[in-house]
Amino acid sequence: MNQENLSKINSYLSFKLGDEEFAAHVGKVLNILEMTKITEVPKAPVYMKGVINLRGTVLPVIDTRIKFGMTPTVYTTNTCIIVLDIDVDGESIYVGALVDAVQAVLEIDKNHILPPPSIGSKYKSEFIEGVANIDDKFIMILNMDAVFSTDEITNLRDKTEETEQTTDIEEIGS
Amino acid sequence: MDNFKKKFIEEATDLLEGLEKSLLALEENPEDLSLIQQVFRVMHTLKGNSGMFGFEMIDSFTHEMETVYDLIRNGKLKATREILDVTLAAVDHLKLLLNEDNYNDPEVIGNHKELLSKVALLVKGDSASEQNAHADLNVEVNKSVEEKGEKTYYIFFEPINEIFDNGTNPLYLLDELHDLGKVEVFAHLNKVPSLNVLNPEFCYTYWEVIIATSASLNDISDVFIFVEDDSTIEIQEIADYNLLTDEIFIDDLKKLASTQNDIGLSSVQNLTKEANSRKVKDKIKSFNKDRSTSKETSISSIRVSADKLDILMNLVSELVTTQARLSLFAEENNIPGLLPIAENVQKLSRQLRDTAFSIVLIPIENMLTRFQRLVRDLSNELGKEVVFVTEGAETELDKTIIESLADPLMHILRNSLDHGIEDSDVRVKKGKPKQGRISLKAYYSGANVMIQISDDGAGIDPVMITEKAIAKGIISPDRKLTKREVLELVFLPGFSTARQVTDLSGRGVGMDVVKRKISDIRGEVEIESEFGHGTTITIKLPLTLSIIDGLLVKVEDTHFIIPLLVVDKIYAIDHEKIKKTFNNVVVLDGKQIPFFYIREEFDLNESQEKFEQVIVVNFEEKRVGLIVDHVIGEYQAVLKPLGKHYKNQDMISGATILGDGTVALVVDTNKIIKLFSKHEVFKIKEEEKPEK
Amino acid sequence: MAKIILIVDDSESIREVVSFTLENEGYKVLIANDGTDALKFLDGSHIDLIITDLHMPEMDGITLIREVRKMPTYQRIPILFLTTESQAAKKMEAKDAGATGWIIKPFVPAKLIAALNKVLR
Repeated sequence: MNQENLSKINSYLSFKLGDEEFAAHVGKVLNILEMTKITEVPKAPVYMKGVINLRGTVLPVIDTRIKFGMTPTVYTTNTCIIVLDIDVDGESIYVGALVDAVQAVLEIDKNHILPPPSIGSKYKSEFIEGVANIDDKFIMILNMDAVFSTDEITNLRDKTEETEQTTDIEEIGS
Repeated sequence: MDNFKKKFIEEATDLLEGLEKSLLALEENPEDLSLIQQVFRVMHTLKGNSGMFGFEMIDSFTHEMETVYDLIRNGKLKATREILDVTLAAVDHLKLLLNEDNYNDPEVIGNHKELLSKVALLVKGDSASEQNAHADLNVEVNKSVEEKGEKTYYIFFEPINEIFDNGTNPLYLLDELHDLGKVEVFAHLNKVPSLNVLNPEFCYTYWEVIIATSASLNDISDVFIFVEDDSTIEIQEIADYNLLTDEIFIDDLKKLASTQNDIGLSSVQNLTKEANSRKVKDKIKSFNKDRSTSKETSISSIRVSADKLDILMNLVSELVTTQARLSLFAEENNIPGLLPIAENVQKLSRQLRDTAFSIVLIPIENMLTRFQRLVRDLSNELGKEVVFVTEGAETELDKTIIESLADPLMHILRNSLDHGIEDSDVRVKKGKPKQGRISLKAYYSGANVMIQISDDGAGIDPVMITEKAIAKGIISPDRKLTKREVLELVFLPGFSTARQVTDLSGRGVGMDVVKRKISDIRGEVEIESEFGHGTTITIKLPLTLSIIDGLLVKVEDTHFIIPLLVVDKIYAIDHEKIKKTFNNVVVLDGKQIPFFYIREEFDLNESQEKFEQVIVVNFEEKRVGLIVDHVIGEYQAVLKPLGKHYKNQDMISGATILGDGTVALVVDTNKIIKLFSKHEVFKIKEEEKPEK
Repeated sequence: MAKIILIVDDSESIREVVSFTLENEGYKVLIANDGTDALKFLDGSHIDLIITDLHMPEMDGITLIREVRKMPTYQRIPILFLTTESQAAKKMEAKDAGATGWIIKPFVPAKLIAALNKVLR
């Protein structure tokens, strides 16, 4: 999808991590897979869950909860893998995002997207494009490129909000 | 033979005299059947025997006479005056024919022809006269045209039960087949009834035989000539070469014979087809081998766009994956006939893979021109005299690897020219030849290509490096480093030790970049240097990027692939034994082998299995064991990258999709062992002899 | 122990040629010039193979073959008969009488041996 068309579309896929709801622009979403056996790659960062077979290619899968400083994903029947098309240094890369549940595709008009709060936010602002208020819920619209980038900086949480949990997210073996 | 001839002539003369008497008597009594029989018998005997002793003309002549008198004795012809006249004339003629000197006498020859035509006329009256082919002269031993080559035939031979009654022994016929060529005999006893109903005078056995012989089909049929009316015989050519040199063909036949009653012509033909394709493949292999060993840069070549090559490679990779699934399916579902087809597909796709990859392999020759230019131009610019020697220009590499190699190699060469080779006067002072020497050597080592760049220049000063490293804060001042470790420092970022950062090599391109670029193409680089004498940089590269022959193993739920090339041996081992070892060393085949317990290293639970497998791999010059749960088998893995998210993960070279769709991880054993040994306190020792 | 072959033929030249050939191959040869003599031999000696002509005075070959097959000891003895090409009917008859095989006249010694090898080893 080229940039022009992309900006016209207002559809977002919403998903849940625990109680919090997030959304990703559909332009970034390739498809949604049901939970399947993930082959763990040893000695990798904790948030890297492993790899799966996506039609003959190897797709890395990231535990989005861990990325967001939450406890690791516990598999339920709702757990899904969202296959994302991420831009890394101008290159298109596929990555799978493990989420607790996928909700719906929402039409969110640009006018209804509020800019992310600069302070007091749980998560670092460079990862959040904006916030939308749908049915009295606050849905955080994510910058998927930034969230799932290959940079080793994993801590999405704002440093001011650091808790003991972040030690889990620290990299192992560089 | 002369004695026999004489004997025959004597005999014949007697016979002819007796004949004359009979004929004269017959004239008086033309209806006397016994006289007619006598005449007939004489003609018959003369005809039968004359050919034996070389009297062909008598043979053919008496043949005609015999026909006449056969007709007479059967009442089809009457012994007329005319016939008797001719017959008596024939007797005179025959007497003459008994003397070989007369054979060249034109009168005799003329007479012969005349009489023959007269006799023929006599016979013509009866349309039912036998038209017997004068097979006399060609009753030769070998009617068959000499077959230059061998052919293979299938023979089915089932004699009737009563075959023994007329003195036949079928085994003699099989012996005769053995005389003709190479034979595989399959005797079938399934028609032998139980003892209480078995007739000991009956033959119940029947045979199927495969014979490879240069004898003709006729010759083979002739073996059975006495029994053909009393047997079922089938002879069928199945190949125009000797199939019995193909061991697999013979084994397959034996397998079939043991599992079924008859092998059957169609099964044999199927096996023949398989043997044929093996033969063709062997021809192709040897043909290809010949082609590839020739060193000429092929004049007969075509240009292929890189895009097409990429598409081809992708398709080949996918084929390999799909074929793996086919093999798995065939094994699991056990559909008869599918497994051999799947095996065939595997062989074919392997060949296709190898051939496809060879297309993508290009000799590094082309790249070398660039380097020669560089050396020439640079040495001129720097005012240094350098000779550049290349070896192994014909060594071939995947084109993508070559492209990625160009820059790093250029950089290394620049370094050599710039910092390595000294000015001529400096060299002379050092006692070195005025001309500096840089060599680039390329060669194969196992599944790798090695590229070695050496110079006889100044070499690397370990002291200077260490100082620089301390200055940069990379190492602490009191750290003791081995020479190797010092040299490795060169690969650290920002580490240019040139006193002046020259325009050429200091331009933000350091050895760290070289190392990284080479890692990107899954290669390794090492430096060797002798301060004052020179430096050698060795680059190790994989031959192909995409497909690896590996060993598929399982550790708990995960499948791993260990490249076959590093695998030395596999042993089964007791779980208890592993737990009990001291210092993580196990004794295998009398040698002490250090091992790593993969489960432990990857933080998995302890195995509940009683037995595990130790895979002994080659690591540098030593052997190290890696313990896994199960070894599943050989697997041809289409290597797929893990992706940028795993870019710091170098233990796993990549992943592959197994036949059942799950992902297996391809391990780099060198990296794993290096990593594991960091955690363990001990270093890997040389293998020691067990203490007694 | 060498095998013993009985040759039955009224033609001396044939008898001589055949016995010469067979003796050369290491066989022992007994000669009879007609069927009755042949039967006498069979009564007394041990014979391994019979080669007989078909056309003989007194007892012809086919009768001889039939008689031989009636003898208990010789029920299965291999019997070859000499015949000419034109004798297809006779061939059938001889086979029906119990002959094992045949040799076509005229024949070269090699042909004789080839036929022999089919029935006697």
